[in-house]
Amino acid sequence: MQKVRTVSAGLLVTALVLAGCGGSPEEEQADDPASNAARQAALEAAGGEEIGGTVSMLGLLGGEELDAFLSVLKPFEEATGVEVQYEGTRDFAAVLQTRVEGGNPPDVVETPAIGEISAFAAEGNLVDLREVLGDELLEANFSPSLIETGSLDGEVFGIYSTANLGGLIWYDPSTYEGPTEPESWAELQTWARQEADAGRTPWCVALESGAASGWPASDFIDEILLRQAGPEFHSRWAAGEEAWTSPEVRAAFETYGETVAEGMAYGGTTNVLSTNFAEAANPMYEDPPGCSILQQATFMGSIITDSLPEVEPGETLDFFPVPDYNPDFPGIRSISGEIVGMINQTDQSEALVRYLATPEAGTLIAGTGRWLSPNLNVEDSAYEDPFLQRASQVLVEAQGTYSLGNSLMPQTTVDAFWRAGLDYTQNPDQLDDILATIEETR
Amino acid sequence: MIGERVWLIVGAGVVILTVGAVYLRLGDRALAALPTVWYHRTIPWLFIGPGALIVGLTLVFPGILTVVLSFFDAKSTSFVGLDNYASALSDPVTLIALRNTALWVALLPTLAALVGLVIAVLVDRVRYGGLVKLALFLPIAVSAVAAGVIWTFMYDYQPPVAAQTGTVNALLTVLTQTDPIAWIIDEATNNYALIAATLWTQAGFAMVIFSAALRSVPDDLLEAARLDGASEWQAFRYITLPILVPTIVVVTTTVTVIALKAFDIIYVMTNGAYGTDVLSTVMYRALFTARDNGSAGAIATMLMIAVLPIMIYNLRQFRRQGRQVGSSW
Repeated sequence: MQKVRTVSAGLLVTALVLAGCGGSPEEEQADDPASNAARQAALEAAGGEEIGGTVSMLGLLGGEELDAFLSVLKPFEEATGVEVQYEGTRDFAAVLQTRVEGGNPPDVVETPAIGEISAFAAEGNLVDLREVLGDELLEANFSPSLIETGSLDGEVFGIYSTANLGGLIWYDPSTYEGPTEPESWAELQTWARQEADAGRTPWCVALESGAASGWPASDFIDEILLRQAGPEFHSRWAAGEEAWTSPEVRAAFETYGETVAEGMAYGGTTNVLSTNFAEAANPMYEDPPGCSILQQATFMGSIITDSLPEVEPGETLDFFPVPDYNPDFPGIRSISGEIVGMINQTDQSEALVRYLATPEAGTLIAGTGRWLSPNLNVEDSAYEDPFLQRASQVLVEAQGTYSLGNSLMPQTTVDAFWRAGLDYTQNPDQLDDILATIEETR
Repeated sequence: MIGERVWLIVGAGVVILTVGAVYLRLGDRALAALPTVWYHRTIPWLFIGPGALIVGLTLVFPGILTVVLSFFDAKSTSFVGLDNYASALSDPVTLIALRNTALWVALLPTLAALVGLVIAVLVDRVRYGGLVKLALFLPIAVSAVAAGVIWTFMYDYQPPVAAQTGTVNALLTVLTQTDPIAWIIDEATNNYALIAATLWTQAGFAMVIFSAALRSVPDDLLEAARLDGASEWQAFRYITLPILVPTIVVVTTTVTVIALKAFDIIYVMTNGAYGTDVLSTVMYRALFTARDNGSAGAIATMLMIAVLPIMIYNLRQFRRQGRQVGSSW
């Protein structure tokens, strides 16, 4: 869930260091067919006229991610004359709560924390988007499972705007000698173990992410649980119907634990805990490489190429999907993403949300090279980024696609889960206590 | 957009000034109609009225509301008595936070006063003293969040095989040839590392106050002591230090309150992970993550109770100093 939040956080730090490096490549599109189509779609979303006015939007994006997202909104602003005032904050929950209580809520919210926004919807703060968009538009563009994820008691409180495919292994093809099409997780880990025995640390792992530290471990464990214990158990667990102390959850923690065990992760536990997740891949490009494989979602590609400009996609950076953990549950993939909800129903906010639900806006999202579009009607060719193009094929070929469980949980539990990811990495022998601690926060 | 806002601000300024002027003018006229004795009795209230109102609205009222909410449940709907306090005091995380807050209160004021005093006394004796003072004073202007980011870089950890990019570890490994330390992760060092980062932003404040106070130490007294054969240390110990005692009290109490309020640096650097929580980070999570008005209110009330005696002592000290200054005229 916290993908975007934490990516922004990471980029914030990176931006502080690298301030001034690089421009925004998303600027140039003015007259290309995709933007024209998007302008057309935006105009239709606004009822066919330039309605003008403003719409305020609260989200977590910042830096280059925000630039990319704003480039998607640009055709909307041009076609409808509506000015979108996007306010990005890392303290999303606190700012949103304060503004709602102060009687000054944003019109539209965008967040990866679906559980958090669902609690907010349960208090009656969000508009039912089924009424705004209509069943037809909604069901034509979004898969039932994504609509279900953004629903509560039959009302749709949020639609996905961006998506990330989880569970990819990033590696450097010029130095990596392990399997690139492993049959199973066990095969990959057997290779990793051999590497470790030969004195080379195979895994690149980094968990630091400011106030959200620990999420890379939580997301990893979350995906392991989904694909190891199966989607049914996973969805019960996400809904709070399975105990954290159950053997399945324990096993998922332990499977993750093998990647950070003695000799398996670059720099050892201390380094795993103290390194920012955005810098996880850096040792991969040392000579000799400090580590060779990194488990992370699609967005890691642009983080690596943003911070290491000498990295060539395809030549020195590539990915393969994490193989099955359990033969009983083959071909399962996890996604996460950001969801858009509406607090104030105005002509402008309706137009914006309707626009974001169109395949034309989805095509622009895909064209940013940062996210997958959750929209079913976005063509593969919309992806200029080769990684995203392949990721979207992986999604198409998947037997089943599910949201990460932690994006659906209350924030208190998510915080405890992040903390548990850190604690378990630091003290693997205290797993029972750590799981009992999360169980208590429920 | 910007222009609009500028005009709004200018407009608001004009309105406030006009209302203020009218209030004072009309109020003064109205009171002047009273008998002279009553005029003198009531006129101070006219002046402190607006200030008292603002403090009441922004400080007293929310303070009382916080205490009241601490006796209610998470959504502030039903009365639960002391439950929030009981659960806070039995929660292991809050207990760690209590321990750490105590550590902050014990270390930060002591160190700030010590560093500030030593530097203030010593730099007066050297020619480049101004430069040292400036270096120590500048961090006051750095916001706590920026200080947190800066010190995250300072404490940066790289594995022993790699080049150390954090200044502290780079110095440590070069000077002592030992392994680098993960300062803000290792539970043996992290609380002290956070306190040291805060000290960096506060020591300058202490030094400035001490520098000013040192000016009030009469030169003739020191000179007399030296003529009588007192060593520099004796002169400091028996003349300068006693004169500085009220200042030391002011500095330590002020920094104690800062230590009790410590939040930003911890939030930025560790967010309370690895046993670095303090009461304010626990309170923040209770309010904004768990959305529990009750327990957040209970922790805020506990903090308030801890601060109160210090504030009262501080105020008394100020008043006593005021009297001393008054009597010497």
